[in-house]
Amino acid sequence: MLAVEAREVVKTFRAGWISRRRTPALRGVSLAVPRGAVVGVLGPNGAGKTTLLSILATLLVPDGGEVRVLGHDVRREAARIRRRMNMASGRPSFLWSLRVGEIIAFYGRLYGLHGRALARRVDELVEMFELTTHRRVPYNELSTGLKQRLALAKALVNDPELLFLDEPTLGLDPDVSLRIRAHIAGLRRERGVTILLTTHYMREAEELCDEIAFLKDGLILARGTPDALKRRIRLGDVVALRVEPPAPWLREAPGVLRCAEVDGWVECTVDDAERRLPELLARLYAGGNQLRGLQVREPQLEEVFVELAR
Amino acid sequence: MSWRAEVLAVWAFAVRNLLMASRNLFFFFELLFWPIVGVVSIGLMGRFLALTPADTAFILLGTIALSVVQVCQLEVSYAVLFDVWSKSVKHQFLAPIGIRHLTLGAWLVGMLRGTVIFGVLAVLGRWAFGVNVLSPGPAPLAVFLAGCFLTAWIIGVTVCALITLFGNRAEAFAWASANLVLVLAGIYYPITVLPEPVAAVATWIPLTHFLDAYRAHYGFAPALARPVLTGFALAALYAALAHLAFAGAVQRARASGLLLKMSE
Repeated sequence: MLAVEAREVVKTFRAGWISRRRTPALRGVSLAVPRGAVVGVLGPNGAGKTTLLSILATLLVPDGGEVRVLGHDVRREAARIRRRMNMASGRPSFLWSLRVGEIIAFYGRLYGLHGRALARRVDELVEMFELTTHRRVPYNELSTGLKQRLALAKALVNDPELLFLDEPTLGLDPDVSLRIRAHIAGLRRERGVTILLTTHYMREAEELCDEIAFLKDGLILARGTPDALKRRIRLGDVVALRVEPPAPWLREAPGVLRCAEVDGWVECTVDDAERRLPELLARLYAGGNQLRGLQVREPQLEEVFVELAR
Repeated sequence: MSWRAEVLAVWAFAVRNLLMASRNLFFFFELLFWPIVGVVSIGLMGRFLALTPADTAFILLGTIALSVVQVCQLEVSYAVLFDVWSKSVKHQFLAPIGIRHLTLGAWLVGMLRGTVIFGVLAVLGRWAFGVNVLSPGPAPLAVFLAGCFLTAWIIGVTVCALITLFGNRAEAFAWASANLVLVLAGIYYPITVLPEPVAAVATWIPLTHFLDAYRAHYGFAPALARPVLTGFALAALYAALAHLAFAGAVQRARASGLLLKMSE
């Protein structure tokens, strides 16, 4: 069962009243998100990530293609979708002088909560996101991290089945990002919420997502699990060596795709570490080079991203 | 939506606007300062010009009506302006609500503020200039205030539509639009003094009719036929058109991406 089903989605922004400058944002994006999954959309700035998320969240009307969210068409049945989903952004904005509790309560009322049920929900969310001591603090006095936690709390006010997170840890300190990620992971684990998130951070995508889609210039270039993507891009394995004296021939050795020097290590990307490592070691010993350190690792998702973004 | 959900959504916006108003000194200033300045200065001008009590009542009624319309209309415009200023527009359009909830919730607060300012100005008019704006009685007063509030709703919703259509650039409409009414609706003078084509335009403004009807209780012969009925009919027509314009503007903003731009 799919929570999100998008086929050949097209969106072009037009600006100006006379010249009507056209900026294509999405050029035929197809995406399927199974219920209960966490899917990440990665891409450089201007790739179309927020546009895609906004179309799925019914904030933006697509120019073409077919989009169904939770079984409903985004154009014709937007109201039905809105009841069952919500969205939080890494650049949250709420009314400046409303307090934390009031903001959650305001949005709770928009989703039909009232009386004790509303009060309970506000209490629950304030506690869940550790906002208790800030409950009576106006929004414009909150730190960036607290604002982001409030945005997540607001996004859960209607107990959504589907959550869109647009760069949820953007600009946060590492420790705050960790806590936000823990909250996001908990949402899927404990509540079974389907999550579609956009992010710049590869580690975040690797940590949270079952599947990742790479978006660039309005097109999905690749999608799959992090491991499958690494395999598909054929970046090879990374063999890092600390050798004395240096062995410049490593760059030219069979199976070595490229080499780079990083902090005294020579990082060689090879087509197959299992096959190439014994060959390299044998040649190093034969040449009288001493091996001071050795590491073998899979390519980082970041490298996949860089490769795809080229 | 169920009736309960409808009421709750309207109530949500009313509570929000009330909270915002209660936390901003500027809003109190806006509520009291300009209307009081308006009534005092117009009243004093009447005294300087040695106007008759009836003529003083005529212009003070117009001034009070304009103040009530302005205060209430601004509150309706805040339904969108608050979110534009705080860049939080998308959150409310993400929720399963309609534009009627935004505007009606804000209108409730606008009517409350309009009633308060009417009360303050009524006391001021009686005390400072001897004009009793309550003398026509509760029924004509209710009709008059209803006319002012309906006019305010129409202007406010039109401003919401313009802001949603053009973004921050249209913000000035929130403060400027009510002044169009000032020129055309016979606030300080009967519309008979206007050039004929302009006077014809004035008859298409609901407030012109409500003022005409209320001033009749002060001995001024009505310039318009069936002013109350015509006023309500025009107000209903414009209210429907303003609502449709706002709905269309929101739909256009969803298509053009302006809704997102106003949220970032």
